Amino acid sequence: MPIVVVLAVLAGAAGFGYGVLVLWPIDAGAAIESSRKGDPARGAYLARASGCIGCHTDIDGGGKPLAGGAALDTDFGTFYAPNITSDPNVGIGSWSLVDFARAVRKGISPDGEPYYPVFPYTFYSRLTDQDVADLYAAFQTVAAVGKPAPTSIIKFPFSERNGLKLWRALYWSDTSFQGDPVRSEAFNRGKYLVEGPLHCGACHTPRNPFGARDVEHRFEGSDALPGDGSAPPITSKALADEGWTTASLAYALVSGLTPSGDAFGGLMGEVVRDSTAFLTDADRQAIAAFLMGEDPQS
Amino acid sequence: MAAIGDANKALRAMFSGETPYDADAVAEHAQTIGSQSGEAVTTLFPEGSLEGPTEANPQIWDDWDEFVRLADRLGLVAEGLARAAYNRPSGERPMPSIGAMMGETADTSTMMGSRTMADMMGGSGPDMAMNADMMTDMPADRVFALLGDTCTACHTKFRVEKD
Repeated sequence: MPIVVVLAVLAGAAGFGYGVLVLWPIDAGAAIESSRKGDPARGAYLARASGCIGCHTDIDGGGKPLAGGAALDTDFGTFYAPNITSDPNVGIGSWSLVDFARAVRKGISPDGEPYYPVFPYTFYSRLTDQDVADLYAAFQTVAAVGKPAPTSIIKFPFSERNGLKLWRALYWSDTSFQGDPVRSEAFNRGKYLVEGPLHCGACHTPRNPFGARDVEHRFEGSDALPGDGSAPPITSKALADEGWTTASLAYALVSGLTPSGDAFGGLMGEVVRDSTAFLTDADRQAIAAFLMGEDPQS
Repeated sequence: MAAIGDANKALRAMFSGETPYDADAVAEHAQTIGSQSGEAVTTLFPEGSLEGPTEANPQIWDDWDEFVRLADRLGLVAEGLARAAYNRPSGERPMPSIGAMMGETADTSTMMGSRTMADMMGGSGPDMAMNADMMTDMPADRVFALLGDTCTACHTKFRVEKD
């Protein structure tokens, strides 16, 4: 009997695959407690670390903070990061903490629509409840901008948003952060920042033709960045081979300068300018120590 | 550009604390960068010169005024660093306010220390209108940060990143 049931389901999926996708519910997982209080200063720091400002602000175009990003050209279409100011209509001003947490960590809009993974919720799923509450509090401080960001232009078949349900099932598992118990607190702080908020792997890990990261080759670099850019490998070995040390890497994240006297450009220049330059020295040291695979001196 | 890189390599090592701070050497390297800035940079990129070993992005010729502005700014900040070299480095960059963190435009106070929460949430970076006189009394490491920001700003806009 069970085999018959399975066959029937498969036949149904083949014949009515589209319908199945449409009706397939999305599991949003456990919600955050709605009463959790956030610290806006801590949240603003995390917003910098997470790249919210850089991606959701058209900085070169002189756009208002968080009112929508510059065009991001990808193999799947041209994406514009939306307006996430406190405007209740075109921004996120009407969102509850629960809505916000589900969007950031699960990649699901308040209307129940899945987001494209160009929004790095697959990393932000590692954010703690307190981090999410802090971020939410920080976003309440952002001045409302009533103008929506341009609509993303997504190529067929990727424009079929229900396909994202399949993508999620194939390529994403909702994981919380896993520290390494034999390592120091600072090393694990770096691990958390790199794997969660900073989402380094979004550019430095190669992706398959469906835009999913090839985690077998984590941090081995990618030559398929938006706008035809490339990201070098940042495995511990690759960094050491290039002459990086924990000290020089930490300094590069504030200065944009490499040990050879060169300066970052492209997307990494933006990451330093809009994100890592705002972090504390202690956090940059932790990030560098984790990437170099070294435990900092305690 | 190679002379800038060599000077910057030595400066970077001192300001990151990897080699001892030598104010005379800082001033000398800053002067080298100053002498290689402005037109010395822009003449290396004649219009359409995308053949050969260039890493320039064609945007450079569409936005030539901005390229010239950044090349000139490099000279300005290098001059400021040569003057500020004997000022004691201040240590860590100041923490921005919530507004600065969340993206509001910074004012000149940002430059001298206090970043606001607006900076954190998206305020723009250092004030590009500053002149060399204003840098004379700044801590040397803050001026060097402006130099690095200038290099990065230009590479971010106008250089193609390849492996």
